[in-house]
Amino acid sequence: MSFDAILDDYEKRREHALAMGGPERVARIKARGSLHARERIDYLFDEGTFIESGLFATSFIPEAQASTPTDGKVCGYGRINGREAAAVSHDLSVKGASSSLTNVKKMRHMRETAVRNGMPLVLLNESSGARIPDTMGAVGTGALGQDPEQFVRRREVPYAAAVLGPAYGTACWFTQLSDFVAMRKGGVLAVSSPKVTEIAIKEKVDPEELGGWKMQSEITGKVDYATDTDEEALDLIKKFLSYLPSHHNERPPEGAVPAGSDDAARKILDIVPAERQKVYDMRKVIAALSDKDSVFEVKPRFARAATTALARINGRTVGYVCSNPLFKAGALDPDACDKVTSFLVLCDSFNVPLIFLTDTPGFLIGLAGEVKKAPGRIMNFMTAMQLCTVPKVSIVMRKSYGQAYLNMAGTRNADEMLAWPSADIGFMDPNVAVNVVYGVTYEQDRELFAKHLKEVTEASSAYDLASIYSSQFVIDPRETRQVIARLLEVHNRDRTGGISKHQLGNWPTTF
Amino acid sequence: MAEERVRSEMTGKVWKIIASVGDEVSDGDEIMILESMKMEIPVMVDTDGTIKEFLVGEGDEVTEDQEIAVLEV
Repeated sequence: MSFDAILDDYEKRREHALAMGGPERVARIKARGSLHARERIDYLFDEGTFIESGLFATSFIPEAQASTPTDGKVCGYGRINGREAAAVSHDLSVKGASSSLTNVKKMRHMRETAVRNGMPLVLLNESSGARIPDTMGAVGTGALGQDPEQFVRRREVPYAAAVLGPAYGTACWFTQLSDFVAMRKGGVLAVSSPKVTEIAIKEKVDPEELGGWKMQSEITGKVDYATDTDEEALDLIKKFLSYLPSHHNERPPEGAVPAGSDDAARKILDIVPAERQKVYDMRKVIAALSDKDSVFEVKPRFARAATTALARINGRTVGYVCSNPLFKAGALDPDACDKVTSFLVLCDSFNVPLIFLTDTPGFLIGLAGEVKKAPGRIMNFMTAMQLCTVPKVSIVMRKSYGQAYLNMAGTRNADEMLAWPSADIGFMDPNVAVNVVYGVTYEQDRELFAKHLKEVTEASSAYDLASIYSSQFVIDPRETRQVIARLLEVHNRDRTGGISKHQLGNWPTTF
Repeated sequence: MAEERVRSEMTGKVWKIIASVGDEVSDGDEIMILESMKMEIPVMVDTDGTIKEFLVGEGDEVTEDQEIAVLEV
């Protein structure tokens, strides 16, 4: 055969593979308003940087080879804002992007290459689950499991996922394993499809109810953001990755500091009321302390009594762990503990210094929390916080009580402990403490209540904390940004180049 | 028109109802203030709609996840 003929054959095979599942199936994907697998890759990566791996991969079953271009998962490497990344883009037009022996090998290669070379792994998930008949019987199922590291997260590199349609089986598993998830509304994230669920357990269930965006972003908290379009989901992945290093052995990249970034912090007292019974939105405080427009909240719809956010201060990436008085008075419930724990794991794994902003009446007590294993979740949070070896700066703004004071990196749990002059610190809210310790309520005896309140609140000020050197600084709230910035310069971890010990690297991704 | 139930996010007491039946509200608007953990906790709606009914009154005790108002959306 001449080279002309060889290349002609090559071109035909290439065109066939690039055509995905054929024009009709691709048109059906487009008709629902989403991008197809290759358009997603084009949108994700910088123009002209994508190099595809496994273009000629197909099903291992001879009769299915012609109908399985790329075997339903488009894989390869490209650059995102100039930085290398690996990606798997599920192609729903090829056998529902179901997982097979060949395309699981492709996914493995992407993961291994990303980890070996220190670049993020991006997973554009949409799959009907395991492919039938490939995985039928002992021969089919037993052929799986060739990769004993397949589902192991050591967090050497960030995983970022988008759920852009139905995501069952492997697509669901890798979403669970990811550090960040954006989900297009209409997508479904679940172990199995509603159809399989109905057949297997006779439970008729609506897909949205089973694993829709509202459930996943508000109740389970697995999804960080829900979007209306594929493009928005991909933009969020790019933004998330912009705060992180490409791998765990480097510091996060620095950003430019926009002009006017110091202005809002000086007006912080316009946000925080002096009266402790009044609430405010901690997100406004975070925005004021950070470089202008640099805040990227993580899991904004989930467990809102805690706010977690990536941001920059003087160009450096930081992670905020905060109670938010606007929701549940900032009383941290079990879901808030989970949210904080997963964020601590993220920040410590990728060398992001932590800023704790505390204004909380404590952990939310009561039956509802106990049923949700509140004690265990509080200790998970505490253990994770104590294992973090990135720089930690902790600030009590108005109040911090009991175990929550310790969980929010109180005293020696932070590299530097700060308090605003307005801070009140104690074993529990003083008003409640009078009831508990002396059995007196305000309504019963105002005079006696006031007397005991004075006793309970004695030695609970920022200055009392500073007097025993359990806080190193009492600061004017309007200087908070400058002080944090300066302390991050001091706690630069030069001996290790800013690299944490990564003691949380293999912490479970859901717990 | 569909109905959406507004729920209390925590156990506490209804301190003030600051909106009225018939009011048009938008996502994030406060309709009521609870008193809990010695703090004033606003109840915000998370969708646009019109207030059809309040299921609790000022001074009532509410529990976490209790339905406290009905919106028409």
